[in-house]
Amino acid sequence: MSDATLAAPRTPLAQRLKSPALLLVPAVLFLAVIYLLPLIDLFRVSMSGPTWSTHFERVFSVPLYWESLVRTMKIAFTVACLCVLLGYPTALLIHRTRGIIQILIATAVILPYFIAILIRTYAWMVLLGRNGPINKLLQMLGLIDTPLALLFNRGSVLLGMTAVLLPLMVLSIYASVARLDGSLTRAALASGAGPLAVFWRVLLPLTLPGIGAGFLLVFVAALGFFITPTLLGGPGDQMFAMHITQQADSITGEGFLQALAVVLLVITLVVVGVAGRIMGFEFIWGGGKLGDGKPKPVATAARVQAPRRGLGMVLADLLGWPLLRLMGRLPAGWGRWTVRIMGGAVIVALVVPIIVVMVISFSKASYLTFPPPAWSLRWYEKFFSDSNWMNAFRNSLLIALLSATISVSLGATAAMGIVRSNIRYKSALMLLLVSPMIVPPVVLGLSLYALFLKLGLVGTYLGLAAAHAIGGIPIVVVIVAASLQAVDQRLEQGAAVHGASPLTVFRTVTLPAIAPGLAAAVFFAFLHSFDELVLSLFLSSPRMKTLPLMLWADINYQLNPVLAVVSTLEVLLVVGGIILARPVLTRGKPA
Amino acid sequence: MAQTLARREMRLETSGTTTTAAVRAQEAIGAGISIREVVKRYGAFVAADRISLDIEPGEFITLLGPSGSGKTTLLNLLAGFQSLDGGQILVDGKPIQHVPVHRRGFGMVFQSYALFPNMTVAQNVGFPMRMARIDRETTDRRVAETLEMMRLSDHAAKLPAQMSGGQQQRVAIARAIVMRPRVVLMDEPLSALDRRLRESIQIELRELHQAIGSTILFVTHDQSEALTMSDRIAVMDAGHIVQIARPAEIYRRPQSRFVAGFVGESNLIDAQVLGRNGCVLTLRTPGGHVFEAESRHGVSGDSATVLIRPERIAIHAAPAPGTLPATVTSALFLGEVLRIEVMLDDGQRLLIRCPDIAGRELPELGAQVHVGWGAADSWVLS
Repeated sequence: MSDATLAAPRTPLAQRLKSPALLLVPAVLFLAVIYLLPLIDLFRVSMSGPTWSTHFERVFSVPLYWESLVRTMKIAFTVACLCVLLGYPTALLIHRTRGIIQILIATAVILPYFIAILIRTYAWMVLLGRNGPINKLLQMLGLIDTPLALLFNRGSVLLGMTAVLLPLMVLSIYASVARLDGSLTRAALASGAGPLAVFWRVLLPLTLPGIGAGFLLVFVAALGFFITPTLLGGPGDQMFAMHITQQADSITGEGFLQALAVVLLVITLVVVGVAGRIMGFEFIWGGGKLGDGKPKPVATAARVQAPRRGLGMVLADLLGWPLLRLMGRLPAGWGRWTVRIMGGAVIVALVVPIIVVMVISFSKASYLTFPPPAWSLRWYEKFFSDSNWMNAFRNSLLIALLSATISVSLGATAAMGIVRSNIRYKSALMLLLVSPMIVPPVVLGLSLYALFLKLGLVGTYLGLAAAHAIGGIPIVVVIVAASLQAVDQRLEQGAAVHGASPLTVFRTVTLPAIAPGLAAAVFFAFLHSFDELVLSLFLSSPRMKTLPLMLWADINYQLNPVLAVVSTLEVLLVVGGIILARPVLTRGKPA
Repeated sequence: MAQTLARREMRLETSGTTTTAAVRAQEAIGAGISIREVVKRYGAFVAADRISLDIEPGEFITLLGPSGSGKTTLLNLLAGFQSLDGGQILVDGKPIQHVPVHRRGFGMVFQSYALFPNMTVAQNVGFPMRMARIDRETTDRRVAETLEMMRLSDHAAKLPAQMSGGQQQRVAIARAIVMRPRVVLMDEPLSALDRRLRESIQIELRELHQAIGSTILFVTHDQSEALTMSDRIAVMDAGHIVQIARPAEIYRRPQSRFVAGFVGESNLIDAQVLGRNGCVLTLRTPGGHVFEAESRHGVSGDSATVLIRPERIAIHAAPAPGTLPATVTSALFLGEVLRIEVMLDDGQRLLIRCPDIAGRELPELGAQVHVGWGAADSWVLS
């Protein structure tokens, strides 16, 4: 470095052009145009009646919608509670096992998380069907004579939604359990606390944030759920999001449809907003706090906490503790076995449907039955020789590649900007970048439809890829930001001190360090688009169908084993991706 | 019905022991611990290899050793976090290996403090009392007493995260002693603190031990910590206790090269025994220098390793009877002492520490000096 460069006075403009905050611009612009504006437009249209509230009054006065809204809240709440109840033992089980067993259990939870909701729901349809394994097993045992109607009722909706959303809960709780200092449990034990007291006084209070985050994520996702209740529910299980798509099919009138979507969106935002005020908005992306320039003084945080803690403790003492003491009379080891049995049951429930579907794909029968009467590859042949399926497959592949490219290029630069810049409103920007995660896809699809009609993007590759990128960007931002935060900045400073230019520093130090995260981001962004159904339902044309759309149509009209073939291929894709990514992923992680 | 009765009786019994525990806490008498032939393996690795150790009631005993020597394993076995693969541990004559951790009634201090982040200081300290179901009034009084003792009274309502490391560790100690347990286990409790703080808490702990009378088992890899606080030190290496003795004994008369090297700085000279005169051996270094050392062992012809602590060597400008000529290779001023390295003409290097007293100057590098020590200043390793 010469004296001249050191001495040269930099103009403020040149300096400002080098600010990492500028890296945020492309992603923010993209989301503003394709995501924020359509949502704002949605609000505008919803208020376009004779008076602004006309359409909303109808939503809240017609029992069909009003009751469905209440039902949706009830179902979402029940599902979230079930997920906590089943997810906690599973998370503990992962935490307490070691070695190969831990890896197997963790895989059993994570794998379904990456498989499309549509496919997992289909697997439950197979499992619970009239000729499905459960009915067959019960008949074989002589418990029933005629097959039970296990599908198309409230029970199957709750079961399916819980199974689909459980991995989210388990991962959220596991993150907070794994973060615990192991010596805390030891300290409690050494202080004379029995296993139950350790759980109630130490483990549970300290993992409460993880439970809360998981509960909210599941609740919010369940609120906007569409695929699973449509496929598993009966006429009495209509959820709110389903009305929006049904109304979209039979255009009932501009405005009312938008009002339905706005109601769903506002409820979601209020829930997330209230939760975010209480526990910090970080719960959405499961990350730590972003350094926003000014660290919160500890004293204020404690003052805010103090009264709540007091109340919580009183409640815990008055209600929970006597109950637990009653349980304390149960034989020793009871707690450990509860965790093992409940966790084990959850693992089985997550894995068995997938295995059943994979087995059925090799069936010779032309209808769904388990176990298959004979084996054959005829459904694989049918899939690979059917030009409709092949076209859809090619479309999906192309769109997913395009979408992953958009997501990663915009998302990774935005993550750089978030982590490395020191601007105000950083948290707000991060919130904007990850917010598509919590907006119900049905609402997003509806709002985009209007925009895409105007721009002539309906049924185009670029249009669908861009729409899928709205959900892909948050995934990329979260993963890449996390791996950037893990990079030791002293390494970069060290390279710079020894003469590396900023670009060289990035190439030689930063990029290798975040490469595993980047690879994972590419894979997940690809998968997100490849599996996306709801937006595609709104934005595709009859001439251009994606794989999930074909699946959706087939599931609704003719439940045949070709679907099992597609599901098996998807599972193989995810497994293959994880196996390929494993060496890259584990290298980046500290042991 | 009979079952219910039996259960009720069991509950009565349990509450009975709680009361006696509370009474015992009032008397505050340390328990005697007897560790017999204890074995712990991790796969092929033997972490504790038939260790035996008897600890007197009320004793402050330190397990000292490098990492991996088995000291923490021994502590965890005693606490009950790990199960024995062989041997027995008796507390006051009763075997405890089948008593679960939370019924052992020990206090424990952890290296990472392990304070419950969701509880205030007072709640943390009161936690063992709550777990023992001691009434609120007694608990409050005892917590206040203990906080007073640890000079933490002003911090009772704070959360651990609002305190400094030193304060947090004092809270952890308060939690460990609030029940006045018979045994307190400490797992490198001071290693995360800076030196000055460590030294002041060392003295506090020593006083605390005298005040409450519990048996304390203290694990550390810091030899000066062990020397300062312990009644006895057990030096551990590779799953064995290699020497157990009072601090002065360990420092002055180590039993092996390992102990000599691990506790304090040392000069070790390999030499051959020429002869014995009462308690004094005459030895010759390979380089031909002859000197004397006290020892009860060794006969003419034996080879021996002689330990001379750096502060026992005197340095002279002029030759005197019994001194050896040497060249200064390094000289550092450390404050209260001068640290000087010299080389004898046969190549043997010696480290010397001498107090910074009036008239003493740091010698020049390369200066010719004469070093010497008395027979009583050296120790022959057996």
